[in-house]
Amino acid sequence: MQRILFAGLALAIGGAISSPSAEARPVSYPGGWTVMQQNNGDFSSIHAHWSPTAKDSIGLYSERNWQTDWHFTGIQYNRLVKRWNTSNSQANLYLKTALGQADPFGDEAETEAAGFIGIGADWETRRWFVSYEGRAYDVGFSQDARQSARIGVAPYLGDYGDLHTWLMLEVQNRPEAETPTVVTPLVRFFYDVQLLEIGYTPETEEFLLNWIVRY
Amino acid sequence: MKHHSIAALALAFTLATPVAFADQDTPSETAATAQTMVTAKVNGMVCDFCARAVTKVFGKEEAVDTVHVDLDRGEIHVTLKAGADLSDDRVGELVKKSGYDLVSVERETA
Repeated sequence: MQRILFAGLALAIGGAISSPSAEARPVSYPGGWTVMQQNNGDFSSIHAHWSPTAKDSIGLYSERNWQTDWHFTGIQYNRLVKRWNTSNSQANLYLKTALGQADPFGDEAETEAAGFIGIGADWETRRWFVSYEGRAYDVGFSQDARQSARIGVAPYLGDYGDLHTWLMLEVQNRPEAETPTVVTPLVRFFYDVQLLEIGYTPETEEFLLNWIVRY
Repeated sequence: MKHHSIAALALAFTLATPVAFADQDTPSETAATAQTMVTAKVNGMVCDFCARAVTKVFGKEEAVDTVHVDLDRGEIHVTLKAGADLSDDRVGELVKKSGYDLVSVERETA
C-alpha cells in the first residue's frame, strides 16, 4: 500500500514537472495538451497527450502494474470514433491503442515489445455521468485484460468556472486479479483546468487518486 | 457667489464636452466602432472542458474580442472586435472544430 501511494505521488509530481498540461476524456480540442494521472490498487499510470484535431490525440503512456509486476512505456493514440451531441447531453465512443515496451520489475528479465488496445464510451449530462472502458494488454511475457464502468451524479450544477463536484461509483473487473471485481466509491472535483478524483476500495483496502489537467 | 457661478459653468462645460464630441461622430465612424455580439446555440456542451475547448478555439479567431460560455443555456456569446465580422458559416466551422454541433446563430450590434 505504501509502495503504491509513494509511486503514485512520484508519478504525479513527475507528470506535473514534465508537462504543463491535462483532461477527463482522452481527446481534447485542436492544439490542447492533457496530462492524466491515475493510481489505484492495480496500477499507477501517467498519460500525456496532444490533440491535433478534436477527434485525435497522441502522446506518451507509462504504467506500473502492481498486480502482475510489470512496467509499460509507449506511445498511445486515441481516436474519437463517434460523438453524439444533443441539447442537454453528450455521448462518445473512443478507440485507444498503444505500442511500446514492457519489463517485469523485480528480476533481470529482458524488455519485450508490448502494447494494448481498448475502447471507451461515455454519456454525460450536466447532472448524470455513465462510462465504460475495456482494455487488453500484451506485454510479451504476460497478457492482461481489465474493464471498468462508472455512474455519477452532480449534487449541484455550477456555471463555467465554478467548482464542480461529482459523486461516483466505479466497478472494476480484472479476471487475473486476486479480487477480480471491486467497487470504488469516489468523489470528483473539477475546477478550471484541473480534475481530481479521490476514492476508496473497501474489498482491497486501497485508495484511488486520479488527477487530470488540460491546457 | 461669483466664484460659485464660474465653477458651475466650468462643471457644466466639462460634463457637456464628451456629449458634444460624441455628437460629432460621422455615421462611418460609428459603424467602425460598433461591436457585434454573436450568440451561438450549441448542442453537446455539457461540461467545463467543453466550454474551455470552445473558448480556446474561438479565442484564436482574429475577429473575436471576448468569448463567454453559458452552460445552462448551451450558448456561446462572442463579442467581435470593432468593425470585425464573423460569418454564420465560420461560426459553424469553429463550433464543429471544437467538437460540438451548431443549432442557431443570432446577432446583436451595439
